[in-house]
Amino acid sequence: YRLSIGFRKLKKKISASFWALNGLDGYGTADCWNCVAAECRESLWWLVKLPRMLLLLLAPTGIFSLSHSRSADQMCRDDGRVRLSAEEEMAAEESLSTYCKPVELYNILQRRAIGNPLFLQRCLEYKIQSKNKRRIQMTVSLSMTLNGASQSPSPFPLYILLARLVSESLTPEKHSAVFRFSRACIMNDFAGVNGSTQAQAHFLLPESNKLASEANSGSLSLLLVSFAGAQNAVHGLDLTKSHVENVGGCCLLGKIQLESLYASWQKSPNLALGQRVEVASAVDMYSCFLKLNCSNGDKCVFVQIPKGSENDASQVQVNVSAEEIGAREKSPYHSYTCSDVSSSSLSHIIRLRAGNVVFNYRYYNNKLQKTEVTEEFSCPFCLVKCGSFKGLRYHLPASHDLFNFEFWVTEEFQAVNISVKTDVWRSEVVARGVDPKQQTFSFCSKKSRRRKPKSHVQQVKHVYPLIFESNHHAGACDLHDKANGGKSMVSISRGAADGAGKVSSVFDEIGASVSGAQGHQEAEGVQLASDNSVVPPAMIQFAKARKLSADRSDLKNRSLLHKRLFFHSHRAQPMALEQVLSDVDSEDEVDDDVADFEDRRMLDDFVDVTKDEKHIMHLWNSFVRKQRVLADGHIPWACEAFSRLHGKSLLAAPALLCCWRLLMVKLWNHGLLDARSMNKCNLVLEGIQKQDSEGGKS
Amino acid sequence: MARIPLGCEPVIGSLVPSKKRDYRVTNRLQEGKRPLYAVVFNFIDSRYFNVFATVGGNRVTVYQCLEGGVIAVLQSYVDEDVRTKDESFYTVTWACNRDGSPFVVAGGINGIIRVIDAGHEKIDKSFVGHGDSVNEIRTQPLKPSLVVSASKDESVRLWNVHTGVCILIFAGAGGHRNEVLSVDFHPSDMYRIASCGMDNTVKIWSMKEFWPSVEKSFTWTDLPSKFPTKYVQFPVFIASVHSNYVDCNRWLGDFVLSKSVDNEIVLWEPRTKDQSPGEGTVDILQKYPVPECDIWFIKFSCDFHYNAAAIGNREGKIFVWELQTSPPSLIARLSHAQSKSPIRQTAMSFDGSTILSCCEDGTIWRWDAVSSSSSSSSSQV
Repeated sequence: YRLSIGFRKLKKKISASFWALNGLDGYGTADCWNCVAAECRESLWWLVKLPRMLLLLLAPTGIFSLSHSRSADQMCRDDGRVRLSAEEEMAAEESLSTYCKPVELYNILQRRAIGNPLFLQRCLEYKIQSKNKRRIQMTVSLSMTLNGASQSPSPFPLYILLARLVSESLTPEKHSAVFRFSRACIMNDFAGVNGSTQAQAHFLLPESNKLASEANSGSLSLLLVSFAGAQNAVHGLDLTKSHVENVGGCCLLGKIQLESLYASWQKSPNLALGQRVEVASAVDMYSCFLKLNCSNGDKCVFVQIPKGSENDASQVQVNVSAEEIGAREKSPYHSYTCSDVSSSSLSHIIRLRAGNVVFNYRYYNNKLQKTEVTEEFSCPFCLVKCGSFKGLRYHLPASHDLFNFEFWVTEEFQAVNISVKTDVWRSEVVARGVDPKQQTFSFCSKKSRRRKPKSHVQQVKHVYPLIFESNHHAGACDLHDKANGGKSMVSISRGAADGAGKVSSVFDEIGASVSGAQGHQEAEGVQLASDNSVVPPAMIQFAKARKLSADRSDLKNRSLLHKRLFFHSHRAQPMALEQVLSDVDSEDEVDDDVADFEDRRMLDDFVDVTKDEKHIMHLWNSFVRKQRVLADGHIPWACEAFSRLHGKSLLAAPALLCCWRLLMVKLWNHGLLDARSMNKCNLVLEGIQKQDSEGGKS
Repeated sequence: MARIPLGCEPVIGSLVPSKKRDYRVTNRLQEGKRPLYAVVFNFIDSRYFNVFATVGGNRVTVYQCLEGGVIAVLQSYVDEDVRTKDESFYTVTWACNRDGSPFVVAGGINGIIRVIDAGHEKIDKSFVGHGDSVNEIRTQPLKPSLVVSASKDESVRLWNVHTGVCILIFAGAGGHRNEVLSVDFHPSDMYRIASCGMDNTVKIWSMKEFWPSVEKSFTWTDLPSKFPTKYVQFPVFIASVHSNYVDCNRWLGDFVLSKSVDNEIVLWEPRTKDQSPGEGTVDILQKYPVPECDIWFIKFSCDFHYNAAAIGNREGKIFVWELQTSPPSLIARLSHAQSKSPIRQTAMSFDGSTILSCCEDGTIWRWDAVSSSSSSSSSQV
């Protein structure tokens, strides 16, 4: 079912992509789809992996047959160039089909996990979310001072702090302030001089909207602290270190208000467009007294600027650049649409793009492999995005342990080699001719001889016989040939060799059951299934398996029914076969005669109850039992029905009627019967009385 | 047990034999090594009053008592049903077919009741239904096609041996709370049965309300398992006469003779209140002491007219009590030097002149009344 959905989605997407990529203007959508379908039918493999084909189709076809280097060739080698004999090819095909069952299983698991994702998946989801969060990265770097680098001493090491003003006091003698900060960046060189990595300080700021209020409050500022340039400098004071208490000394201090930076960013239109904004400014460095205080996790600097120090300020040229990150459009083709890139290097680039992972499916004793590329670190089985290669590395073995994974990272590629763990899924995949349902629940006294481990894998291969041949077979072939350049379909020729009559009969059965199973689905899906005869394999398999298992289990049950002796549950009497097979099962029925008799006998025990009361009790008890009045909520209905049923006899005996009304009052007392229902009962009784009197008159 | 009012104490019989009749061992037969649990004369058909059946192990044997202490083996049936575990029969009774040929109905550990057509020497039916061992089967003397069985599954079932139908099940809310060990039809009131068992009670059941069902069973032609078996859940009388397992009870008119493991048979009268069934009082009338009879599953037997009852004990002795005298009188105490093994059941012949006992060691003893007076025999002549 999921596959069929995926299929429909795929159809839309693929046709769209065809329109977009190939510009198949002359083709109708259906033709286009047929092409795709025919291609899809190339092998079982792609049928199972259909939903994922999207990725390959979106990229220009044949992308992976091109190789650029040796390593690339190894990494994404398709088996097109390996020359195999026809027999070998068949064997290889079969070997490839061992992927089918686990992939099916994971499809099922994925469907189940939609509503309730795994812990790992949730974690990865958070990671991706945080990665995609919009933020501004601010980069601060120093350029050479313009006016006389010779005269002022080198300001390095220079600390850059993004600090928040906590308190400030202005006196005639001095200007003192306290700033709080969390991180200090140390800078040892000018930007671009020695290629030093420490020439830049990076700060992450919230996105511009959020930043606005902060910036406009004026409390945030960039502090530049240099101990080197000051007289009486205290050496060895490291602002990047925490746990330094009450150390102080003279230094040079420069300040840039974030407010002004923000204002200049706002002025430039580039930031909103996701591009870099550079602001260059000269910062005056004043000598001052600075004291660092790191107490209870907060890092504070206490700054005292004596009056008059403004005069001997030196200047530093600071570049501040800002860029919004995480907001970039994630479309993989966004930045690669340039027409001047040759197709060969385009594939290279695509492969190189961060987030694209190459998956190599090894089969045929690891001699052959199929390759698939996913983007954004998606898992090829469940299409879940894993955020990073590391995430993928955790996800794959955790969620798809029926495969072996080899992770392979080079500068050019991130690749995963996948092979099927044949020994592990022995227990989960059953051999041909074994119904898994019965495998689970039936008792086997002897070790099943059908499941010899040696021949197991060979048998498992046949789990999915080829059943999607149809009367449209030839047409599909033609289409396929058109689409694929004459390469014949191994699977179909093999299927045809099996005997056309048999195959078609199988198909008829399947087709019938499929359309039956799909009755509730959209017409599109059904039409698709019947018209193009490309029935999603999962559906076919599902329908087939269900039908077969139903047939088989039915047969087995029937034979068991015949063989075994069954007993009535109450009487422990053996059942005749016709009783076993009949639909009637009276064992749970209450014998009303006996129950009435017992009830009456029980009521007879009461000494202080009148005969009429007993009678009403008995009538009520048997009514309640026969009508299975179980819940409190049934009582109003029961009262009404009782009035209708026994109305005549009640009206005939006023004493009984009185008792019945008392009983209703009792029920009302207990809150089981509301006044309205009681009124209804009495109306019913009245109606009966009226009818009687009229009948008597007439 | 209700307090016994002054002057209503039960009369306890004296263990001094009255020597009214004397019995002598006339035959001893080793049937096998396995214990014999039941022996019973055929009282159903007057042609076969001298025929009796025993059960033990998986074997049912039919004998005939001949003159001069001779016992002739007539038939022997062995249950070799491999589908079930080895049968061990606990009880046997006589019934008869529509054509009058005698049926031997036996049941045991497997809970399957075997109806053997002794006239045609073949198995006629097997009643499956009991969930556990069958401890006693009795025949309704007035309608010998009805048998009632008491089982370890805490139920009593009424069967029709002609149609193979399970008519009624006496179990449920008011039923026995442990194995039912013994059951008996009322001699004249066809609706009544009494059952007793390991829950120390004797329960009297009435099937008056269910009689249509019983009638229906005679004309049932469909599959037996389709018969609408009814449950009788409430007995009409529950008596706690004993304080231990009650392993044998018999009706004596409207009175009940019941035996527990406390060395005596008790004769009591159930006094039911018509207004409130299930309740009532017990009037204990007489007690018949039986020394060394303190193990369970020892059953007594009476002659056809219930004049006398014979019961064996743990040491292989037999006590023959005159039932209908007050105070009860012990007719005879039978002992033999070689009879040491516990006697599980005795069988009194139609007139009480022959007593058979079957023992744990697999022997059958035949005691014949020594016509204490040749006068009586001469008088017969």
